[in-house]
Amino acid sequence: MKLYIKLISASIRSRMQYKMNFIFSMVSYGVIMMIDFVLLAAILNRFDQIKGWNIYEVGVLYAISSISLSLYRTMAPEIHEFEKYMIEGEFDSLLIRPVSPLVLLLSKNLDLSRIGGVLQGLLILCLSLYGLSKEQQLVFLIAYLPVILVCGWLISFSLALFTATIAFWTQRIKDFQTFTLYAPFNAANYPMNIYPGWLKIIFFTVIPVAFMNYVPMLYLLHKGGSLYFLLLPAAVAGLFFCASLKFWNYGIKFYHSTGT
Amino acid sequence: MVYWLLFKKSFSRNMQYRLSHLINNAASAIFGFVYIAIWTGVLAGKEQKSPYSIMDMTYYMGASQCILWMTVFLTAGLGIQAGVRNGAISFELARPTNYFFYITSQEAGRIGYNALFRSLPIGLIFTFTVGFYTPEHFPAYVYTFLSVILAVGISLNIFYLIGISSCWTTEISWAHFINLTLMFSLGGQMVPLTFLPGPLSQVAGWLPFAGVVYYPVMIYLEKANSSVLLIQGGWLLFLLLLNQWITFLARQKIEIQGG
Repeated sequence: MKLYIKLISASIRSRMQYKMNFIFSMVSYGVIMMIDFVLLAAILNRFDQIKGWNIYEVGVLYAISSISLSLYRTMAPEIHEFEKYMIEGEFDSLLIRPVSPLVLLLSKNLDLSRIGGVLQGLLILCLSLYGLSKEQQLVFLIAYLPVILVCGWLISFSLALFTATIAFWTQRIKDFQTFTLYAPFNAANYPMNIYPGWLKIIFFTVIPVAFMNYVPMLYLLHKGGSLYFLLLPAAVAGLFFCASLKFWNYGIKFYHSTGT
Repeated sequence: MVYWLLFKKSFSRNMQYRLSHLINNAASAIFGFVYIAIWTGVLAGKEQKSPYSIMDMTYYMGASQCILWMTVFLTAGLGIQAGVRNGAISFELARPTNYFFYITSQEAGRIGYNALFRSLPIGLIFTFTVGFYTPEHFPAYVYTFLSVILAVGISLNIFYLIGISSCWTTEISWAHFINLTLMFSLGGQMVPLTFLPGPLSQVAGWLPFAGVVYYPVMIYLEKANSSVLLIQGGWLLFLLLLNQWITFLARQKIEIQGG
């Protein structure tokens, strides 16, 4: 952990050499991601709600999904870009060091510009909670939010690690990421009850993004479910995280170096 | 002809990745199903408030997912920025070809591949699941074909403009990101322009972004008349001339160093 913190602080210092670039990219990401939500707000402003969920309730789902994915993109850019290690043969250099390759990958780089996405999510979350506070008590929801965000981060990281591991066999993973990350997280921006059965099965099992926000919010926003729903995100995230680590350790055995 | 050769070579190069593209097609279809589900959820019981029915929006989302692969998901800056960074652009500009057509014909090959191996399979997925619209009148097929060609032309020009701007800026990732956002939002990919708030809905119809997704889809669905082809054609002509001029300026700016 000490080593990880040391490597991360070095990474932050190197990024901060270009402060203006950092600020500009962070603001751009945040503003551009906001447009997506503004479009959704325009639809819901005209049609009131989507299958029983109003704009503020959808806003909470949207914010949690957005913050979780942005946190992962901030903290693990090398996992996201893992295919370059396979294609360019850079993974060799990680294997010869006396530290786990996964720790090295996580500490190698931080994509601080993605913090703009986190801030955008937090802004939508605050606005949505303010809107909801006129109708109901939110103390319990706010107290539970840190747990949800940690679980959301773990689920997104685990999905990304699963996808990165596939690179040990396929080398390229960009096309898989659309299937395992972009599409599911886009879907998780909205309530799961709008989707057809087969999509719901996917989002509740193999790509369990529903547990990141929809399941706990069913109970916290009084839309059904029981207190037990608050335990599910942590259980699913923990299980999924352990499974992704196992899969990574299994996949690494199949790594073939590139060479001349 | 050299441009046709470049088109064919680019098409063949993309054929190498058919399997991974098929996986991506499934993801694209899921995006489409998500948007269809959103609109079905939004319009359920409220169709009288909307100019479009649930089926209209289903067809709209299916068609827009198909056209995205021909007009929006192009190579960032058409790859020009890489040539600027490594100096290869000086050789490319020195070749006895028109640089603009040299670059765009390669991307056109990729678009041709996308039309066959991405748009068509995605369209088939929607046809066999939620259905696909069949225009009732023959001219709609002709207008749709023309509109898609113009949409591809506009898009190639916008992407080229971003790419060639790297002669001055070197870094184009932000311009590319902003362009994609504008194409998604003002292009009507998720929300038809009619639903945009207030004057934005009017203004967006006159911008080039509407020409890359919204107009081709609306013409195909027979909900826009052929006059919108003039807006698309106007933008294509303007962007073509602008790009020729910018390329001329870039040619003046490039310096070859070495010894």
